[in-house]
Amino acid sequence: MARRDAVAAAALLLFAVVAAFESARLLPFGVVRNPGPGFFPWWMSLALGFLALVLLGLSLLVRAAPQLDEQRGRFLKVAGVLAVLALYSLALDVIGYPIATFFFVLFMLRVTEPQRWPLALGMALLAAGGSYVVFAVWLDVPLPAGLFAR
Amino acid sequence: MDILGSLAQGFAVAATPINLLYCFLGALIGTAIGVLPGLGPPATIALLLPVTYGIAPTSAVILLAGIFYGAMYGGSTTSILLNIPGEAASVVTCLDGYQMARQGRAGAALAVSAIGSFVAGTLGIIGLMLLAPPLANFALKFGATENTALLVLGLMMVGYLGGGSMTKGLLMAALGLLLGTVGLDPIVGSPRFTYGVFKLAEGFQFILVAMGLFGIGEVLVNVERSIKPEVLQTKIKGLLGSREEWRQATAPLARGSLLGFLIGVLPGGGAIISSFISYALEKRLSRHPERFGRGAIEGVAAPEAANNAAATSSFIPLLTLGIPGNASIALIFAALLIHGIRPGPLLIQERPEIFWGLIASMYLGNAMLLVLNLPLIRLWVKLLQVPYPLLAPFIVVFVLVGAYSVNNSATDVGFTVIFGLLGYLMRKFEFEPAPLVLAMILGPQLEASLRRSLIYSRGDLLVFFERPISATLLALALLMVLSPLIRRLLQRKFWEIVGPVPEK
Repeated sequence: MARRDAVAAAALLLFAVVAAFESARLLPFGVVRNPGPGFFPWWMSLALGFLALVLLGLSLLVRAAPQLDEQRGRFLKVAGVLAVLALYSLALDVIGYPIATFFFVLFMLRVTEPQRWPLALGMALLAAGGSYVVFAVWLDVPLPAGLFAR
Repeated sequence: MDILGSLAQGFAVAATPINLLYCFLGALIGTAIGVLPGLGPPATIALLLPVTYGIAPTSAVILLAGIFYGAMYGGSTTSILLNIPGEAASVVTCLDGYQMARQGRAGAALAVSAIGSFVAGTLGIIGLMLLAPPLANFALKFGATENTALLVLGLMMVGYLGGGSMTKGLLMAALGLLLGTVGLDPIVGSPRFTYGVFKLAEGFQFILVAMGLFGIGEVLVNVERSIKPEVLQTKIKGLLGSREEWRQATAPLARGSLLGFLIGVLPGGGAIISSFISYALEKRLSRHPERFGRGAIEGVAAPEAANNAAATSSFIPLLTLGIPGNASIALIFAALLIHGIRPGPLLIQERPEIFWGLIASMYLGNAMLLVLNLPLIRLWVKLLQVPYPLLAPFIVVFVLVGAYSVNNSATDVGFTVIFGLLGYLMRKFEFEPAPLVLAMILGPQLEASLRRSLIYSRGDLLVFFERPISATLLALALLMVLSPLIRRLLQRKFWEIVGPVPEK
């Protein structure tokens, strides 16, 4: 746990330093009697940095427990879902909602907790088609139709 | 106008067919997600936020509030039958509820839980109804200085009470405040951290952040964990419990309701903490503490009453001070903001139909929940048999459509996925997403009131300590920062009182 905290604290500290630097560089700080747009972000970056240092200090004080790595395989599934979600957001406007959603659901049902092909295909069709009918046709959400565009 | 007259007006609003329908839907969805492990109230409310765009604000808030307090009812079902809390506020119910189910007393446990929730919820609404108007009147005296101090206190409390480490809670709050500065400056309107990207000028849209952090983040964590609930194969009989069981449960119900109400008013996960404290209190007061953890009905009655009363009273800071105390309430806050309504001291005066309509809908919703959760309990048990892997893609699809529909933009879907990744990482590194979300909402208000206070006082920082209300609020905030020790003490005390938990 301590190692994870140290990693998180270091990342947040880095973010705070960049944020402080950027607010000083980009935004007028003003004066205390008339604070400018940079006043609040600068102080918040400082607060974030200070708290990250506190967490870093605390994590270094606690002896790290040995960590089990049994979830590595499942983490790959998470990475896979994230990658497909990123692809989904890029492809949505190009191939349209129904096809993008069909392949996304199919991926989830075959890869994350593998289901039989007929079930996965059926559920993917149901999710893509059903949600398109409900949202785009009934509720008038202008989802990109892609190949189904008239 | 007197309270009864206002309440009558509230019932006139809540009892219209459309609002009754939304109230019922809220109670139904709330129970369902309370029952289903792996989807909490904040995630569900986030998913449904886009749906509320097209409906009247009163209906929207009735629907979303119903989901929140409905989940408190449903959460106990999985605690009792599966030993898995449907949501965090039902963790303690597992200790005795599951043992009761194993002894063939699942019916009594479910009955005490549902009826206790109804009683506590109703008492909570009465308290909310009586306490909110005077508190809102008091808050009307607040100027920029007091508001600054109040918001600082609210953020400290969220960090302190949100569960987990206080340092991490405050870190998330600071990160949320910082992320909240992206977009237009709240005083002069100049762009900040937009780097020429037009989309960033409106800031990180709260709804996309919430859907990513809570919706996608939660699904990703569950994909990794693999939820496989096994329902206890027990016949649910004796659904009203025996007279003796009710005799034992009555006093804990009353104490749990009162304690839950009082703790729920504090921002930061009141429902969760109140259930723990009320369980510890009952064990301390019991003449036979050794029965706790082995199927004591008091161990179900008190925490269930406490979490329901707390869920209701957590609306008080939102409706009177404009401070959301937990993630679900923050999302309800966001729903109101989307409709151009700012919750706070003026809400009761300016939009009485929303305030009193919500109160009246809570009375109706609690009655609906009682019906949904007792006679229909077998139906909910069936729902538990839907495998999570089949549910997860539908949740994600709902999030993606919701994210797209905010601005009809695929870029927003990308933003939501990025915040989903952040939500996943936060859970992996044991950071609570709630303080970040709350800080993002409160950040622009805090910045505006802080800068106004400094302008009015010509930069004199002592102004925060010279005015009695703001000085008191800041003193409380300081106390919060200095008191993680109290929390550690309380936790140690809880486990001392509760003792070792018997294995399944």
